[in-house]
Amino acid sequence: MTSPGDAAPVKPPPSFSPGVARGTSKSRYPDEAESTHSIDAELAEARSVSSPTPPLSATTAELPIRSSSPHARSVRSSTPQLARSSLGSPFDGRFDGSEDIRSLIIRAFSPTVAIYASDDTDELVRNKGFKGGFWELVRPFGDTVSGKVVIRDSVGSSRAWEDYGVRFVDLNGFGRTPAGRESGQESSLTQMEEILEQQLESAEGPFGGSIPPKDALGVPVASPLWKLLLRQILSATSAAPHETFGHPVASVIAISSRNMAPLETLRQLYGESSSGDKRLPDWVNSEYLRYYVLVHDEERDDITESTKLYDQMKRHFGLHCHLLRLRSSQCIVTDDDSVQVPSCEWLSPQERLSGVGEAGKYSAFIRQLETNNIAETLVDLGTDGTPYLFDSDVTAIRTFIRELMVQSVIPFMENRVAVWNDQIASRRRGISGRFMSVGRRFMTFGSGSRSGATGSSGGSGNYDPTNNFYGPDSPEAILRKMADFAFMLRDWKLAASTYEMIQSDFKNDKAWKYHAGAHEMCAVSMLLNPLAMSAKIKLESVDQMFENACYSYLTRCSDVPHALRALSLGVELLKSRGGSATESAARWAMRVMDFGLVGPIGQILFTERVSACYASKISMGGAKWGGRRRKAGMWSIFAANQWLKAGNPTLAAACLEEGERLYGDVLETDGVFPIPEMQTFVDNLRHSVKVEYLGARGFDTRDEPASEDPVLTDETSEKLEKIDKRNHRRSLIGLPGQLDVGNFNMTSGTRDPENSPNDDFERA
Amino acid sequence: MSYYFTILSPTDTPIFNIAFGTSKSGGDGIARFRFPDTAQYMNQFIIHSSLDIVEETQWTNGGMYLKHIDTYPPAAAYISAFLTPSGARFLLLHQPPQLPASNSSSLGASSLLGASGSTTRASSSSIAANPTSPQTEEAVRQFMNEIYESYVKTAMSPFYKQGMEIRSPVFRTKVTAAGKKWL
Repeated sequence: MTSPGDAAPVKPPPSFSPGVARGTSKSRYPDEAESTHSIDAELAEARSVSSPTPPLSATTAELPIRSSSPHARSVRSSTPQLARSSLGSPFDGRFDGSEDIRSLIIRAFSPTVAIYASDDTDELVRNKGFKGGFWELVRPFGDTVSGKVVIRDSVGSSRAWEDYGVRFVDLNGFGRTPAGRESGQESSLTQMEEILEQQLESAEGPFGGSIPPKDALGVPVASPLWKLLLRQILSATSAAPHETFGHPVASVIAISSRNMAPLETLRQLYGESSSGDKRLPDWVNSEYLRYYVLVHDEERDDITESTKLYDQMKRHFGLHCHLLRLRSSQCIVTDDDSVQVPSCEWLSPQERLSGVGEAGKYSAFIRQLETNNIAETLVDLGTDGTPYLFDSDVTAIRTFIRELMVQSVIPFMENRVAVWNDQIASRRRGISGRFMSVGRRFMTFGSGSRSGATGSSGGSGNYDPTNNFYGPDSPEAILRKMADFAFMLRDWKLAASTYEMIQSDFKNDKAWKYHAGAHEMCAVSMLLNPLAMSAKIKLESVDQMFENACYSYLTRCSDVPHALRALSLGVELLKSRGGSATESAARWAMRVMDFGLVGPIGQILFTERVSACYASKISMGGAKWGGRRRKAGMWSIFAANQWLKAGNPTLAAACLEEGERLYGDVLETDGVFPIPEMQTFVDNLRHSVKVEYLGARGFDTRDEPASEDPVLTDETSEKLEKIDKRNHRRSLIGLPGQLDVGNFNMTSGTRDPENSPNDDFERA
Repeated sequence: MSYYFTILSPTDTPIFNIAFGTSKSGGDGIARFRFPDTAQYMNQFIIHSSLDIVEETQWTNGGMYLKHIDTYPPAAAYISAFLTPSGARFLLLHQPPQLPASNSSSLGASSLLGASGSTTRASSSSIAANPTSPQTEEAVRQFMNEIYESYVKTAMSPFYKQGMEIRSPVFRTKVTAAGKKWL
C-alpha cells in the first residue's frame, strides 16, 4: 500500500486550477451528479496517465512545510475541491494527503548514523562555512537517499523504496541529551508551541498587508501547519533506552587528506568511540557498524596521494570505506554552480527554534535540485547566512550517502535482523521457548516479592530497575533492537510479531517504558503493514494497544512526548485506514486534546484534525448515510471559532469555509441550519470572521459598501422570527448568506459567478 | 446529570426543545451543562452532529428506541435516540455532572497531564453517574416511551400540522413530569 508505486501522489489534472470549480453558492448543486461523473472520469484518467513510479520531485516537492512554496500551495488548495466534487468516488480519500503523511511517518523512523570526524576534517568543513563541522555538512542530505533503495525482508522478497532516508547525529552530542531528559520533555512541548506561533506569524507576513495570491487561502494554510506539528512531534523525542530508533546503526569515522598520520588517527578515533570518553551510554548496544571516510581536499591536496591512502584504508578496514572529494573553499551565491544547502527536515524543536528562518528555503532548493537548473530558480540571493555548496560537492555527498546506505548500512541491518531472528527470536517463538517463559513466570510467582526493588525480583532479572534499562546484550534488548531494525527496514510484519512477542516480558519485568514502547510500535507496525488487518477485531486490538501504550507512557512514566507521538501516530494511521477506523482516529485525537498534551495552537490543529478524520469517512455505495459530514462540519466550525479567538482570522476563514462545505451536503439549503441557535452562532461567527479578516488586511470595515450593514441587520432580525416562517425566510436569507460567503471568499480568490466582476475590480 | 431533549422533524427542524436536570438523588431538576451559559448552542451542535449516527443506525437497528448511540467526549455528552414512524426523532442529550477535579478539557498547556480523561465515576449504580449502564438505558427507554405516547396524542390534535412546532403547554408539562419520573 505504501510502495512508491501506489503512493503516487496523483497531481490534480490541470483543469482543476483553483478557483475554477469552486462555487460557494448553491449553484453547484443542481449539476452535482453530472460533475461528479465527469470528474471521476478525469481522475481515473489522471491516475492512469501519471506513471506508477513518480519522479522524486513529485514526492519531495510536496514535503516543504512552508506555505511559501507555490507548488505545495496549489496542491493543497486543489485538494478540497477534488474531495468536494468527487464525493463517494472510489478515489476519495486518496487525495487527502494520507499517503503523504504516511510517507512522512515512515521516514521519521529512519536509521541513525553517528558521525565522528577528526579535527582536521571539521576544520576543512568549517572553512566551507559550516560551523558544526562535517556532521552539519552531510546532515541535510540524509533526508532522502537519492535513487531507489532495495531492501530484502525476512522472507527474502525485495522491495524498492524511493523515499528512504537516514538520520545523521553527532557522536559528540550523543548521549548527553538523555541526561537532562526530564527537564527537556516539558520544554520540548512548549518549544513546539513556540514554533507553531512563529510559523503562524511568518505565514501571516506575506499575506498580511496585501491581497493574498489567488490560491493561497481557503483551506490550504491549515494542513502545512499540521504537518509541521506532526514533524515536530515525531522529532521531539531524543534517543532513549527503551527504543533503539535513535541509537546509531553505524558510525562514520572521517578524516581528511590534510591529516599527517591518517591511519593512526582513524585508530584513535575508533578507540575513542568504542572505549574512550566518547563512548556511548551503557544502554546502547556497542555492536554497530564502523564506516571510514577519507575527505579529500580537491583544491589543496594531491589526488594520487589520497587514492593511495584510500587503498591503504581499504586494506586495513575492509570494504566499509569511502573517498569523499570536496572542494575546500567556501562557496558563495554568485559562483556559477552554487547550490543552496537545504535545511534539515527533521530538526528537533529546539534546533528549529534556533534556526527557523532557514526552513523556507528548503522547498526552493529541492526544486532546484530536481530541475538541475540552478541559476534560473534561485529565488532570493544572499539574504541570510544559509550556506551554499558547489554542485560537484552536492553530488559527491549524495553519492557518498547512497553508497553508505545501500552498500553498507542496509546490508548490515538485514544481516543483523536475520541473525537475531535466527538465534534469539525463533528460539523464543518455538514451543520450548514458550514453556521457558511460562516456567519463568511461575518461578517469579514462587519467589514471592514481586514488588521488591531488588534487581532480580520479577521477570528475567535482565532489567535494571534502578537505572530503568535492560543491558544491551540481554535477549529482551536485542529483540527490541531487532524489531526496530525490522521496522526501519520497513518489514512491518516481522516487526509487529516481534513487538508482540516481547510485550509480556516487559510487563513481567515492570519495564513500563519498554512496555509502552512495544505496544506503541506494535500497533503502528500493524497499521503500516498493508496486508494485515482487514477485520474489525484487529482494529480493536490496535485500539487496545494504543490504550496500553498511552497509559504506560502517561500514568506510569509521565513521558509526555512519547505519549503524544504514540497518539498522533495512531490518529494519522487509523485515519489513513479509512472506514470505521477513522472514528477511532477521531476519538484518539479528542483524547490528545482531553489529556492536554499540546498547547493552545496544537489544540486547534487537533480540532481541525478531528474534522478531517470525520470528513474522510464517506458514505458507502451511494447511500446517504454512513458518512460523518455533520460531525466533520461541527468540528470545523469549532476550529474556526478557536482560530478566531486565537486572533487568526485567515485560518478561521479557511476553517469556516471548510465547515460550510462539509455541512453543504447535509443541509437542505446551503448555509441555512434548521436549528435556530446553530444558525445564530454560525452567522455571528461568519460576521466576526469577516470583520476581523478584512480588518487584518487593512480594509476599514466601515468602508464596506453601505448596502451590507442593512442586509446584516435584516438577517439577524429575520432570524429571530418564528420558525414556521422558515420557508418564507429562506429566500431572504439566501442572499445575505451568499453575500457573506462571497465576500470573504472573494479575497481568497474565489469568484462568485453572479457578483464577482465588480468586486474584483474594486479590490484591484 | 443534565438533560437536553429535542424532537426533530424529518427535515431536521426542531419542533420541541427542553432542558432539565435530574430529580433523582437530591437533584433540583435544573440543568447545569458544562458549557458556559453563552455557549448553549453546543447542545444543538452535538445533537445535530449525532444525526449522522442516527441515520446510520436506523437502518441496522429494528427497534424504535436506538439506545445510546453517540458520545461527544470533550464534554462527556451522551446521546440517546428514539424513532417514530412519522419520521420525527427524539434525541436526548445527557451529561453527567462535572466532577470538580476533572477540569482537564480546558485549553492550556499547563495542565499537561491534567486529570486524565477517565473521570472516576462516582457511585456507579445511580442513573446520574453512569450514562451507559443498563439501568440508564432502561430509564431512558421508559422516558422515551412515555413521551412518545404524549407526542402521538399531541400530533393527533386537529390544530396541529405535521412539522409544526409543538407549543402545547400540556405536552411540555407531560415531558417535564416524565423527566422527573424516570431521569
